Amino acid sequence: MIRRRIHDDGPPVPASVRIARLAFTIFALAFVLLPIAWLALGSLKTRNQALALPPQLIFTPSFDAYSAIVAKGFLGAFQNSLIIALSNVVLTLLLGTPAAYALARMTGKAQDNLSFWVISVRMAPVFAVILPLYVLFKALGLLDTRVAVSLAHLTLTLPLAVWMLLTYFRSIPEELDQAAMLDGAGPLQILLYIIVPIARPMLASVAIVVFIFSWNEFLLAFVLTARGAQTVPVAVASLAGTMSFDWPLIAAVSICSMIPALIFVGFAQRHIVAGLASGAVK
Amino acid sequence: MAIFNDWRFWFVVPMVLALGTVVLFPSGYLVWMSLTHWIVTDPERYFDGVGNFRVLFRSADFTSAVWVTLVYLVASTALMVAFAMGLALALSAPRTPSALRSIVIMPLVIPPVVAGFTWRFLMNGEMGFLGAFLLPGLGLKMNMLADPTGAMISVVIADVWSRAPFMFLIFLAAMQSIPRDYYEAIRLDGANVFQEFLHVTLPMIRPAVVVALLFRVIDAINTFELIYVMTKGGPGRATQTLALFGWKSAFQRFDFGLAAALGVVMVVVTTVCASIAYRRFLRPAT
Repeated sequence: MIRRRIHDDGPPVPASVRIARLAFTIFALAFVLLPIAWLALGSLKTRNQALALPPQLIFTPSFDAYSAIVAKGFLGAFQNSLIIALSNVVLTLLLGTPAAYALARMTGKAQDNLSFWVISVRMAPVFAVILPLYVLFKALGLLDTRVAVSLAHLTLTLPLAVWMLLTYFRSIPEELDQAAMLDGAGPLQILLYIIVPIARPMLASVAIVVFIFSWNEFLLAFVLTARGAQTVPVAVASLAGTMSFDWPLIAAVSICSMIPALIFVGFAQRHIVAGLASGAVK
Repeated sequence: MAIFNDWRFWFVVPMVLALGTVVLFPSGYLVWMSLTHWIVTDPERYFDGVGNFRVLFRSADFTSAVWVTLVYLVASTALMVAFAMGLALALSAPRTPSALRSIVIMPLVIPPVVAGFTWRFLMNGEMGFLGAFLLPGLGLKMNMLADPTGAMISVVIADVWSRAPFMFLIFLAAMQSIPRDYYEAIRLDGANVFQEFLHVTLPMIRPAVVVALLFRVIDAINTFELIYVMTKGGPGRATQTLALFGWKSAFQRFDFGLAAALGVVMVVVTTVCASIAYRRFLRPAT
């Protein structure tokens, strides 16, 4: 899925355009990096240093905020987030892969209606399912459990995964299926031994995108959990309400909350970019 | 029934059942809730017809939330398109280091809660780098988050920061799939860079722009945590969008019926958007 660079070396670009381009790039980098740098620096400061103005750029880094993550019991939130996101990835792929494959091999009205249903669920406001899910999980005694959050996240991740995979499976020629069928393979065998191996990079990128969605999701986790199954974003938000605005601690938790996503994205950036765009660009 | 002999049916069923449980059932239940007088703190619960909708449409909170959502939507979308387009144009240039692209998309993996927090701190009028140091230094002496307009501007900027990378990726992918012959052809006709953009780039990426805009509209209607963390909808109702108003109705005033009615209205609006998006742009080619 690597696209050829198109512009390679066009004719000389006017100097004014090049300067504008450079200026915009510098502005964009400053805009994008300022908050990230602020977080990173803040997490290494003491509270007084963090609040000092003009900002101190040269200081002795302190890792107190990071040890406070453990001391103040935030590790539990990381554990919750990890378990919720991972189980959500497994569930999403188990349910989504066969469905997307079947949809890719369907034609006509059923396919059309199902595809539309999936995309409209993808676009439905989270707010609409929150109240009923809250009432439902309360009735089932599942409030403040990881199970509840993980299931609730399916509303976001399952349509997303089906949509990304559907577009991809379409691009796998049906002749492959037919050849395997002639050899006596059933649909499940074709899926497991032919389609899945071909689609492995795409499945990996879907898994990563789903993980990030689940890991970053706030509203569902916020409403469905209290103390026990709190996820990282909810824990971060809970620090907002506290009277003592402990910026280094917030920054440290925030920095740690980015680590899994950054690791995954570093591994598979190209696939993620292709995958995210595939839903929008045909 | 022939359908039960079709393997495709059995492959789709688990997904449909799962989504049905977490989406279809809740949406049906939402409609029922919206027709019920259901205030958690009030022991009386009864069928109320369209009573909640009547209260909703007449409430000043709702009118204000619609306006705030519209202003927020238009402002953030306009800025975001400009920024993402600029980025895509600047970074699709020949020999752009790919590290630049990786840096620019970093906000994509940062939880919106964290983004909101960071911008809130940056904009803070007493101890924020921007709000208390840089902006006053430039002569703008205004407490951004305490001022209605300033709060809206702050929220919009944070949102652009957090979501523009996604739009940038869509634009970039579209720009990179334009065949280079098109540029060569128009160059032979003596077009300059701006004419190239106007007559080749823009028409070619138009479908991607439309899809990005549709996703954006829905995204903006759903934005919750960024605003919740930054301003909680304040000062006053200045940044209280529909999503925040709904959350407040449900979990602060405990009026589940009213919040459900708002949920129904929001579902109708987004489903209409989704259906336009699907029929015109997303329907898989068969």
